[in-house]
Amino acid sequence: MCSCEEPHGGWGRCAPSPILFLSLLLSAAPLGLLGEEARQVSLEVIPDPAGPPENLLHIRAVGSNSTLHYVWSTLGPPAVLLVATDTPHSALSVNWSLLLSSEPSGGLVVLPKDSIQFSSAVVFTRLFEFDSTNTSDAAAEPPGKPYPPYCLADFSWNNITHSLDPATLSATFRGHPIDDPTRAFANGSLAFRVQAFSRSGRPAQPPRLLHTADTCQLEVALDGAVPRGNRSLFRLEVATLGQGPDYPSMREQHSIDDEYAPAVFQLDQLLWGSLPSGFMQWRPVAFSQKQGGRESALPCQASPLYPTSAYVVPQSPIVRAFFGSQNNFCAFNLTFGTSTGPGYWDQHYLSWSMLLGVGIPPVDALSPLVLGIMAVALGAPGLMLLAGGLFLLLGPKRYSEYQPIN
Amino acid sequence: MTCDLRFCPEWDVHVMVAGERWGTIIFSCFICIGQVIFALGGIFNAFWLMEFGRFVFGIGGESLAVAQNTYAVSWFKGKELNLVFGLQLSMARIGSTVNMNLMGWLYSKIEALGSAGHTTLGITLMIGAITCILSLICALALAYLDQRAERILHKEQGKTVDLMNTSNAKTWDLQPQGFIVPYVIHKVFFTEKFGFSSQAASAINSVVYVISAPMSPIFGFLVDKTGKNIIWVLCAVVTTLASHMLLAFTLWNPWIAMSLLGLSYSLLACALWPMVAFVVPEHQLGTAYGFMQSIQNLGLAIISILAGMILDTRGYLFLEVFFIACVSLSLLAVVFLYLVNRAQGGNLNYSARQREEMKVSHSDFLY
Repeated sequence: MCSCEEPHGGWGRCAPSPILFLSLLLSAAPLGLLGEEARQVSLEVIPDPAGPPENLLHIRAVGSNSTLHYVWSTLGPPAVLLVATDTPHSALSVNWSLLLSSEPSGGLVVLPKDSIQFSSAVVFTRLFEFDSTNTSDAAAEPPGKPYPPYCLADFSWNNITHSLDPATLSATFRGHPIDDPTRAFANGSLAFRVQAFSRSGRPAQPPRLLHTADTCQLEVALDGAVPRGNRSLFRLEVATLGQGPDYPSMREQHSIDDEYAPAVFQLDQLLWGSLPSGFMQWRPVAFSQKQGGRESALPCQASPLYPTSAYVVPQSPIVRAFFGSQNNFCAFNLTFGTSTGPGYWDQHYLSWSMLLGVGIPPVDALSPLVLGIMAVALGAPGLMLLAGGLFLLLGPKRYSEYQPIN
Repeated sequence: MTCDLRFCPEWDVHVMVAGERWGTIIFSCFICIGQVIFALGGIFNAFWLMEFGRFVFGIGGESLAVAQNTYAVSWFKGKELNLVFGLQLSMARIGSTVNMNLMGWLYSKIEALGSAGHTTLGITLMIGAITCILSLICALALAYLDQRAERILHKEQGKTVDLMNTSNAKTWDLQPQGFIVPYVIHKVFFTEKFGFSSQAASAINSVVYVISAPMSPIFGFLVDKTGKNIIWVLCAVVTTLASHMLLAFTLWNPWIAMSLLGLSYSLLACALWPMVAFVVPEHQLGTAYGFMQSIQNLGLAIISILAGMILDTRGYLFLEVFFIACVSLSLLAVVFLYLVNRAQGGNLNYSARQREEMKVSHSDFLY
């Protein structure tokens, strides 16, 4: 069993002091976690040679001296394993018979084991629905009359192989409930679109999160499902491993810059342990239209993290296969929209994106255009004042030189 | 966002022809009729009628402002003109603030009496029309007083239609100033960036008006006592620039920036508008103010369209940067105006004493 104990030893001692943090960052951080400019990224669907096709997507991002492994799967609820190693030669090994058994421990292994610098997992467990028709308070909890939640472990998912696109390094898991008595998902689906990147950049679609070669983007889209209430709000439950010093923490970053996501001045992050380790990063905004614009933006409210036992959250075989059966989980909820604003009911569409990665989370800087305009806007009047001042100072002097002649 | 149809230059000619006395009365009538049509549109649930009402209102509204400025100059030129402009702005601001806070309350009270949506709106607007009738009564009273003053003081009312000498560089230099008139920042900016509640965001949005109401007469008095109008305008523009920079690049409490914006707005109006009276002959003032008003409105209209586009694609930071660029353009214009005035020995930046001396020598020359 590979473990996430190793990073505990190294990163648990990271002191909060910024100077110490920086010195540790520069001296002790494994190169794999410092981030690389570009990576060789490959997407591979790992088939089960003996049984029916199962969705197990392995994204391997190889840098000059590190490898990141993202393992996405819809065995059980949609889940992802995130493993960072400090060698470009680490590999994922899958034991299908063990993985599909009732005790999957050891079914997924990243070799060599001692190269693992960081590992964690995220599981998307449930989709809640509330009818907010009679709720006028946007901050009410719960946000409306609850309906029975959709358990994502009980969804049937498409075959990932068909949606794999090596050109954009993306793949889409699309699913609907196996048991759907109200036929809410007759023409609808819940999709998890996963995309990896070989270098840094920014997508054209809002919220335009800055990504690097160390990150992987997930877009969750609920499309066409018939809501059970007139003003249905949806809430996604996200569970992650949380134990010991690597207990994740939620952080809200406020910035002055909303150039890439108009009217959104906040960036939410989930950090496992102290930096640099793994992170989840998202803007607190979701969209109710495919062409996400400001008019279709919904607030996305994240709840605080709460501890939860492994028995309460649906079990993901890949998480148990990698981390063993004895794990503590913590979870948080993302609520999309409020009863007062635009919502899923407008177009029966909802999308939200996040980044998952290792190292230092990418941070937006002021764009060159903004800096350029500011330089001209402040420089021009300054220069004119200077030039005008000089002209006025020198002008009368020249005049006075002629006075004695007259 | 409301949009008025404003036809100033055409109607300013009418100010000239009719004189400010009849102009004011006619335009007040336009406003009353426009508002009544607007309210009727609400009562009958006819949106086109409401639009037509705004059209008529727009014809009256802006031209009335021009006539009112001309009145102010004809009564107070060479006296406390800056103070008068300050008081004028102050009254307008009090009106806006009362309007913003009262109409919503009035609507909810009428709604409580049990009428349906558009009828309630129409009735509310019809009650608003009472203020327009008050304004018409004031225009009539003013016309009577002005006529009386003319009889007693042997004052002449400008009746000559004379096109302005448009090559007058100083007059045109004043024009870009229209661009810096503060806009009402979207409430979302304060709720999203600074985490304000919706009520607090509304309050902070109206602070510009609340501050300019008491400060305008004070600044007007100050500018009257000191003169040096261009320097005061420069101060106002620099303060505006600073407040926009605070809004754009800091997370400081926006009360600071918005209060600064309120101060700079009052100072600008007090120092800028009376300057026209220093360079333009009295009988052309109507046209001059008409031009300023219409260019200001054109600027506001274009800028609000641009601002909407920028906001949707690039967000509030970029919008603020755009405003900073606009204010910086105004700053350039003011610096240029100062230099031209200085180089040509113009009278725009005279101190109060110099103005007094000029007036004395001017009257010596006349008599």
